[in-house]
Order: sequence, then structure tokens, then C-alpha cells
Amino acid sequence: MSVSELTLLVLRLGFLLVLWLFIFGIVYALRSDLFGQRARKMQADAAAPVGAPAAFPSAVTLPPASSASAPTEQFTARPSPANAAADDKATSQNATRLVITSGSKAGTEFPLTGDSVTIGRSGDSSLVIRDDYTSTHHARLMLWHDKWMIQDLDSTNGTFLAGNRLTVPTPVPLNTTVKIGATSFELRR
Amino acid sequence: MPASSNRSTTTDAPERPLGTGRVRRLHLPQKLRNLELFLLLLACGINAATVVLVQLGALGRIDTTLVLLGAGLSVLVLALHVVLRVVAREADPFILPIATLLNGLGIAMIYRIDLANEEYGWASASVRQTAWSALAIGCAIAVILIIRNHRVLFRYTYVAGFVGVALLLLPLVPGLGREVSGARVWIGVGSFATFQPGEIAKIALAVFFAGYLVRNRDSLSMVGKKILWMRFPRLRDLGPILVVWALSMSVIIFQRDLGTALLYFGLFLVMLYLATGRLSWVLLGMSLFLGGALIASQTLDYVNGRFQNWLDALNPDVYGADGGSYQLVQGLFGLAKGGLIGTGLGQGRPEITPVPQSDYIIASLGEELGLAGIFAILALYLLLVARGFRIGFAGNDDFGKLLGVGLSFVIALQCFIVIGGVTRVIPLTGLTTPFLAAGGSSLIANWIIVAVLLRLSDTVRNQPRLVV
Repeated sequence: MSVSELTLLVLRLGFLLVLWLFIFGIVYALRSDLFGQRARKMQADAAAPVGAPAAFPSAVTLPPASSASAPTEQFTARPSPANAAADDKATSQNATRLVITSGSKAGTEFPLTGDSVTIGRSGDSSLVIRDDYTSTHHARLMLWHDKWMIQDLDSTNGTFLAGNRLTVPTPVPLNTTVKIGATSFELRR
Repeated sequence: MPASSNRSTTTDAPERPLGTGRVRRLHLPQKLRNLELFLLLLACGINAATVVLVQLGALGRIDTTLVLLGAGLSVLVLALHVVLRVVAREADPFILPIATLLNGLGIAMIYRIDLANEEYGWASASVRQTAWSALAIGCAIAVILIIRNHRVLFRYTYVAGFVGVALLLLPLVPGLGREVSGARVWIGVGSFATFQPGEIAKIALAVFFAGYLVRNRDSLSMVGKKILWMRFPRLRDLGPILVVWALSMSVIIFQRDLGTALLYFGLFLVMLYLATGRLSWVLLGMSLFLGGALIASQTLDYVNGRFQNWLDALNPDVYGADGGSYQLVQGLFGLAKGGLIGTGLGQGRPEITPVPQSDYIIASLGEELGLAGIFAILALYLLLVARGFRIGFAGNDDFGKLLGVGLSFVIALQCFIVIGGVTRVIPLTGLTTPFLAAGGSSLIANWIIVAVLLRLSDTVRNQPRLVV
């Protein structure tokens, strides 16, 4: 033996120590894992509106988007969908979120930013609706001259705005139901 | 870092609703992949240190030829890492280092047993294990490159089921099947290249179960008679569970492989529970399996012998009998010799136990690394399985959820069956310890599982924000 017993003992203990350091390194890294943060954020988005769909929109989860004129106090004072002025078109100023009003995820909210929102069954849509009535690329919500417009992308079963099937890109009023397949949603403040 | 230059151009492909989300995505991948690289280098370092310690302990000098073993594995996993940087930038950063470390520890221990048995070159199991690792990591790279989205697998649900059953039954084909130490679970062509198709079958069956349950879980969970507080399924919905039960029982009877049967049936039960959330299915399934196993233990002497060895291991008659508990008890003696911190790598005598490099690798590692080492290995498995569960938990689509949890549960259950068998918690059944044990088919299957989990974790993070 060219290596002394003592060296081997030290190496042996050192090896076990390094093995455990590796494990604790992983556990330490898991603590700040971004996976967890993201999941928490999703939960906060989804959980808040399910409990109280209209009363307390989750102001916390709203992005600090372009909605400078939509302070949080307005949410509680917001007129109910029924008596909302029908010609109050949704603009980038007054619409901050998309709320699913019927379907399996009713109550879920989706924050609106300046970006257009694609809706469809395909995985690359912003809002994915997986049911038998939705086309792969079904419709698109976009800002046109600062107004939210909805455009049907030649879908099979159509997109309905307040019960009427869309043929041309149409401005979306606030609090008005847009129906796609078994899911309907509204744009709200 | 090869992929860092084109990262910014490939990030903004589909339209995302959140401007902030897109900005965050730009910064995340480097962080995840760099963390992975750091852990990977650490794992490779530990692997090299293990080989060096084995040589110091067993030979008293450092032999450079077999440090190549560690280097070979390192190059391969780094290649996989580079592939991830390009095609799965947001994959989980912990899975690959953990799998690498387990694989490397396994190779070092197999090498240690080769030294004791004085086997070198292609005759030695460690060189073959390294070659199999290369093949397995190659398969993993191929899977990551080919399967760009796990939902593709959903289309092939029934194909996967058929492939799984076919692979499972392949060893029964005359002329192709091989019988090794009592169990007919191998196939081979000529005298070389034996392969255990059942290992690959578990992946195919996991895909099938996930797809089948996503399609049919409503009828499985909603209807049926209510007895006491539990809702029991209708007979026509009971079909699949009975088919799988019959299948796993026939595996026991015709292939004499209790472990594989337990693995498949456990996998099915867990996924069924996951999909329906009904405890009644689990109770029903467990009672079916226990009933079947009980009957098998009474009627098949192969199973009966295993029970004897387990319950009465230290009885001199059982110990000395042909096919008795000699192996089990030698493994236990080895573990006892190891004690808290082990005899030191290369300084124990794990080669006394029969097949110390495959079924009993845990006993070999336990002897030389001690309780501290065994617990470290178990913690690695725990972290690996926990990552898999986490991926399933964070996923949005049910197929991905079921697949992720199912595949990681397979690893967990297999560990429990083998390590529980070696440590005499349950009757011993021949299964391989994932990543550690010598055996090509098991390595390939487990690395493919790693690849699928990595792919799943990448798609989970890239998912759209809202799926209805």
C-alpha cells in the first residue's frame, strides 16, 4: 500500500461530505427555484377571481400596464354588466382584463396589455380553448386605433359578439359577451 | 456557451399576452442552464473522485486508463447539456445532474467489483456499462430532439399501449426469449446482445395509461354504485383494470417475474388514482393484486420460495438451500459490515455476494459507503422523483401531468421494490436499481425517462398562460 490508512480515511470522509454537499446544493437551489415562483403566480391569478368573480378583481396580479386611468378604486364602483353603457367601447385605457364568464374555467381572468391576444386551440395561442367547437386559430383580439377589436380568423363555428356572428373585425364594447365555442368572455375595466 | 448568441432571436416566436413575461423569459434560460452546468460539473467531479477512490482503495495507486470511464460519461452528459441549451432551454436544471451522479456512482461500483473479480477490457461489466451509458444518453438526446412537444405522444396512445404489451410478451417468443436465472424476461439474438424489453415497455405503458385515462376518466370517476362512503365503478368501466391485472398476473406466471408485474400494476393504479381521485379504485386494485400474489405464492413454488427467503432468511436450512436466502443474507452482512460510514471505496468485500453489480449494487454501495452513503443515494432518488412530481404538478394539460407523475413514480416504485427487497422490507424480486445497476436495457429506459421529463418541464414552462 502506497497510500496510508489515514489518507484513505480522510478521503473517505471527504467523499461522503462532498456527496452530501451536492445534495444540499440541489436542495438550496430548489428553494429559490423559478418553477415555484411561476406556479404561485398562476395560482394567484386563478384563485382570486374564482372565489369572487366580480366583486374583488385581483388588483394585485394586474400588470402595471398602460392603464394609467384605471386606479383600483374604480373596480368596486364599477357599474354592473347589465346596466353598462353598451356603446362604451373597450380601449387600451379602460379595459384591463379579459374575464371568462362561462365554460369550464369561468371566473378566470386574463390581464390585457397592449399586445394582441390570439385565441384558438393551438398551443401557441395566448388564450388556449380546448373544446370541440374551437378552431386551431379561432379569433384575435387586437388594438386598432387604441380600440380593442375582435376579428374572427375564418373559424368553423364562428365567434359571437353579443349573440351576433362576426363577419368583419368589430370593436368590442366593455362588459359585452364574446362567445367562442362553449366559452364566453368579456372585456372589463 | 454555444447557444447564447442566438438566444434573443429565437425567444419571441409566438405572441404572448404579457410583455413582462416575455422579458422574464429572456433572462431565465441562462440562469437555469448555468445552474445545470454547475451542478453537472460537480457531479462529474464526484464521479471522477469515486473512480479514483476505488483505485486507491483496491489497487493502492491511481490507474489512468480507467479514469477514462468517468471522462467518457462526462463528455456525453455535457453533450446532452449543450443539446438542452439549444432545444429545451427552460428544462428542469436538476434532473440531469442527479441522473449523471447516480450513473457515475454505479459505474464506479461496478468497476470496483470488476477489480475484485480481475476482469478487464470488454469482459468487464464496467466498460460495458459505460458503453451502454453512451448508448442510453444518445437515446435521450434523440428523444429530446425528436419529441419537441410531449402532446405528440397523446396521438399515439393506443399505439404505445400495443407496443408496450408486445414488448412485454416478446421474451415469450420461442427462439428469441432468453431465460436468465429463472426469469424469462430477456431477448437475445445469437449469444450476445441480450436485452430486457420490459424496461422499455414501462415507458410505452405509461404513455398509454396517461392517454387512456385522460380520454376515459369521466366515465371512470363519475358513475357507479355507492357502497358505504365510496363510489365503486361499473363493471364495464372495470374492464381496463381487469385487463391490466390479468396481464401482470400472466407476467408472473409465464415469465416468473414478480417485480415487473408489481411495477406495471402499481404504475397503473397510481395513474388511475391521479386521474380520477377515487380511493375505491386503489383499494380495489390493491386487493386484486394482493389476492393474486397470495394465490401465486401458494401455487407457484418460485413465488413461494421468495416468500420463504424473506420471512425466514436467517434460518440455516433456508440459508443453505439451493436458491435459498444465501444471497440476501450476504447482502445484509455486507450492509452490516459497512456500518455508519462504510468500509471505504475499494476496501470492502462486496464481491462475496452473488451478482453484486446488478441486483445487489445497493448492498455493495452500502458496504463501502455505509449508511451515510446509502442515504445520500436515496436522497438523490427522492430529489429526482420530487422533480418529476413537481413537473406534473405545474403542468397545465392533464396528459402531461399524468405522464410526468407516472414516469417519475415508476422510478420511485422500482427503487422501492429493489432496495426494499435487498434490505428485506419486502420479498426480493429481480428488478434493476435505476441508473446504478449494471444492465443496458434499464439504463436506456431510465435515460429516456429523463429525456421525457426534461422535455415535459420545458413545455410546462413555455406553456400559454391560460388554457381553457
